[in-house]
Amino acid sequence: MGINGVLRFFLCASLLTASTGWAAEIHGRSSTQFVSFSNELLNDHRQIELAEYLRLSITKIDQAGKFSIHGYGRGSQDFSNGEGLNGRLYYLYGDYSGLFDKVDLRVGRQFVNLAAGSAIIDGAQIGLRNVGPVAFTLLGGRDVVFGLNGEIGHAGNADLGVSAYLDGFRKTDLEVSWFRKWDDGDVARDVIGATFKQYLLNNLKLYGNARYDIAAETFNEVLGGVKYFPTSDLILTGEYYQSYPTFDTTSIYSVFAVNRYQEGVFRVDYTVNEMVSLNAGYNRQDYGEDATANVYHVGAGIRPVTPLLVTLEYDKRNGYYGSLDGGSATLAWDLAKGSQLAGGITYDVYERDALTGEETARRYWLGARHKLASNMALSGRMQNDVNERYHRNVSGRVTFDYDF
Amino acid sequence: MKKLLFICMLLSLTVLYVQQALAQKEQHKEYADMKISECNSCHKGEGVSPNHDSDWVRNHRSVASKAGSNCAQCHGQSWCLDCHQGGGINADLTKATFGRDYIPKSHRSDFVTIHPIKALDNPQTCYRCHDQKFCNACHDRFPRGSLRIKSHLALGSGNQQYAPGLDEHATEARRNLQSCQACHPDGDVCIQCHSSGGTNPHPRNWRSIKGNYKDKAGDRVCLKCHLPGTY
Repeated sequence: MGINGVLRFFLCASLLTASTGWAAEIHGRSSTQFVSFSNELLNDHRQIELAEYLRLSITKIDQAGKFSIHGYGRGSQDFSNGEGLNGRLYYLYGDYSGLFDKVDLRVGRQFVNLAAGSAIIDGAQIGLRNVGPVAFTLLGGRDVVFGLNGEIGHAGNADLGVSAYLDGFRKTDLEVSWFRKWDDGDVARDVIGATFKQYLLNNLKLYGNARYDIAAETFNEVLGGVKYFPTSDLILTGEYYQSYPTFDTTSIYSVFAVNRYQEGVFRVDYTVNEMVSLNAGYNRQDYGEDATANVYHVGAGIRPVTPLLVTLEYDKRNGYYGSLDGGSATLAWDLAKGSQLAGGITYDVYERDALTGEETARRYWLGARHKLASNMALSGRMQNDVNERYHRNVSGRVTFDYDF
Repeated sequence: MKKLLFICMLLSLTVLYVQQALAQKEQHKEYADMKISECNSCHKGEGVSPNHDSDWVRNHRSVASKAGSNCAQCHGQSWCLDCHQGGGINADLTKATFGRDYIPKSHRSDFVTIHPIKALDNPQTCYRCHDQKFCNACHDRFPRGSLRIKSHLALGSGNQQYAPGLDEHATEARRNLQSCQACHPDGDVCIQCHSSGGTNPHPRNWRSIKGNYKDKAGDRVCLKCHLPGTY
């Protein structure tokens, strides 16, 4: 579909907005962004681009309001590096919900997400519900993969998925699904997934999900967690996660032996009052064969006065593959209704190897946003990166958002 | 006694689940503009955990599944795709949208410089948004030997090779095989030693699972190392 699809999308959109006599409602956002950045993929040559994002929803097309159309895409024109016109059509689908009060149908390009896998497809998704305590989903279509310069998939890439899940249970969620991916006609992935959530005793949440790779006959991922929330302001989280890297069966890497990765997470999130919220966590990682790492994290959100929000985050990692010590500070100031000034810094000190030594990466940024009207806003952001690769790397954007 | 206990548990669960089945999930559309703190006080009252907290980016995966997902009542698909597929229409001032892909909050600083370490925190995370081809597209643009790969520095910073004598590469590859794929998508360097007759790279249960790969991908991968009819 590529750039032609994006152009068709914008053309259709302009025709639809002109159809004032139509009873259907059209809502969405147009975001025009002028951006300037150093393109690291082109020897850091400065790239000047004009990008147009368009997202729209057309609703109330039929009398019952069951049919709607949704679209989202981006087109950008480079003026300095000969990259030309580039685009992505993220989705453009028609949605009919509640056919016979049981069937939901979605046709076109869309994002699909099951416990066993997720993808953007050019295809269809059919949902069947209100047929008992279990609902069903069937989806399939061409697999859409975005690369740096457009779509990089081909006709032989496809996805098929089916799921069954509990419907209507207030405190219990359970989904079991199967997801298959084809690469050039061969079955590249064949995965069974499950996800589960259960609330208990008014202050406990148990949750988990798992993906089982049928070709490798092993669990690609397993997550089990518990959240304890004695009050609405305090959440304690404990999680165990493991993954076994699996690859597309069409990749040579799929036949290699690998180690299981495991991690344990403990975390506390506490809202002290309307002015202060705190969080802290510890993550223990195990890469197998005695390779481990520890990650410590603390963060805070502070609102000393109503218009000002200060966000602080810091984390420290040591162990296998190197150390990283860093964080970020962000300030956001609401100057007046509809106007905001924001700025921040990120600072990381890291060491990957004794030979490379300790290095730093910093980013400074400043941004402002002003609402010109209830449906129009102008904003800008500038940032400067200072790190091992750049003594100075300034990027900037000016954005005009129009909501309709 | 055990049977009685089992029956009692089964009955208790049935009662619990029937009660729950009668209670429909709360519709959230009308609450879309509320403050998160107000949402959470209601959640607690209903015995539902507060969400959209500071752990949300890491933790939302377990909530955003098909079963019971309320996301679509407040968010369109663009909300997901801006992070997962490089959009940018909802970018607030804290987010960068330079280059082809929107850069979410989890990608701190100039992420290219710190990603070799950050990508190790749950290696599957990268693949939730990026196809493996995304890594190749970038790594391919750098001449071989110009990237400072930690595991390749054993012979000195200017010599990017494994030092076989240190016996590091087998362990390193098992721990972090995905990173090998970033520069060697076709495994060209692997098959120099691991092709038929060389060092066997397969996992221990290979005999029992190799038929699965042949069923799904045919000879496509096998023939990279083996002669027809020898595997």
